[in-house]
Amino acid sequence: MSSNSKANARQQKAAEMRAAQKRRESRRRILTIAGVAIVMALIVGGSILVSVLNKKDVTAASAGGSAYGITIGKKSAPHSVVIYEDFLCPYCRELESKTRTDLASLAADGKVYVEYRPFNLLGAQGRTYPIRAAGAFSIVLEKAGPEVAKKFHDLLYENQPSETNADAEGPDSDLVKLAVEAGAKESDVKAAIEAGDGEAWVQKATAEAQAAGVSSTPTILLDGKVYQDGRTVDELAQNLLDQVG
Amino acid sequence: MGLVARVVTGGVWIVAGALKITHPDTSINAVRAYQLLPSSVAEAVGIALPAIELVVGLALVLGVFARGAALLSALLFIAFIIGISSVWARGIEIDCGCFGGGGVKTGAASAYPWEIVRDTALLLASLLVAAVRRTRLSLDSVLFDRRHDDVAEGAL
Repeated sequence: MSSNSKANARQQKAAEMRAAQKRRESRRRILTIAGVAIVMALIVGGSILVSVLNKKDVTAASAGGSAYGITIGKKSAPHSVVIYEDFLCPYCRELESKTRTDLASLAADGKVYVEYRPFNLLGAQGRTYPIRAAGAFSIVLEKAGPEVAKKFHDLLYENQPSETNADAEGPDSDLVKLAVEAGAKESDVKAAIEAGDGEAWVQKATAEAQAAGVSSTPTILLDGKVYQDGRTVDELAQNLLDQVG
Repeated sequence: MGLVARVVTGGVWIVAGALKITHPDTSINAVRAYQLLPSSVAEAVGIALPAIELVVGLALVLGVFARGAALLSALLFIAFIIGISSVWARGIEIDCGCFGGGGVKTGAASAYPWEIVRDTALLLASLLVAAVRRTRLSLDSVLFDRRHDDVAEGAL
């Protein structure tokens, strides 16, 4: 009898120890899981922090504030729009074709003040057209004034060469033709365009855009803030017009 | 086999994530170039995705929470395959932005088939890791050692 109860007690004790061991194990398990989860969360958080700290905000001068652009409309308009663009960039052409007429009439109605700032983004990838076209733009601006330059700017987008095919880039004489079509005097601009005299201007405009943190085209600023609502360029264009209209 | 799949997939994630973390603007642009997400969402994804890629990669290589990481990895690859197929179908030519870079890139469409093949292979590798209960040389087997429990119980 007594040996039986001893055996029972031993068994009970063993069971208690097993249960305690199990509890310890499961606690250790939960702590380990929590520990690993915390380390993971810290890595994710740290990485996001690194990203956020590395993020460059675009801090560009407001419309009319750059020496390397042309404006339409009045400075007193309730909205201002700045568009950074590259003459070879297909999205810029798409944005141009969707917004040009409307922005022009809104500017004429005093609703928006727009500045176009061409610079060289894609010329860095071995293409000369962005530099030649923006250079020609600067020459037209200098010789024939902002209105003709705006017209030239529009014509450049209407006659944009393919971004894919470098061989399809027309020669400088094509740029001269468009400048003349826009209203510049051939004798004023021909020699300068063909000599590539606009390159220094393009370099400065590009340096200014880079300093402002502009790293893609088109970059739009609405009332001084980067505006990019919309999944596609068409949506973006429509939303922008809705904002200022 | 499971070990190789785990380490290779994890290594790819670590490289992909680490290259992007220090270039958030490029990463955001890369997401935006798919023209699938609204702007503000694209920004959040562009910042969060590299961090998630890095941690999934570390988890796979070290073998901690390996099955969960492998499942998440598989889901991400499915999303990428859908993303690339979608730009391909829409005729948009972009750098996939898989390892940094991203944005419009002419002639990029020729890379889409190979990118989809690569992502599919990595998807299968992820599923393999998720399917295998435990692979060799994983931290999981140190942290959550079942045998240890058995031995302890057996000793009593």
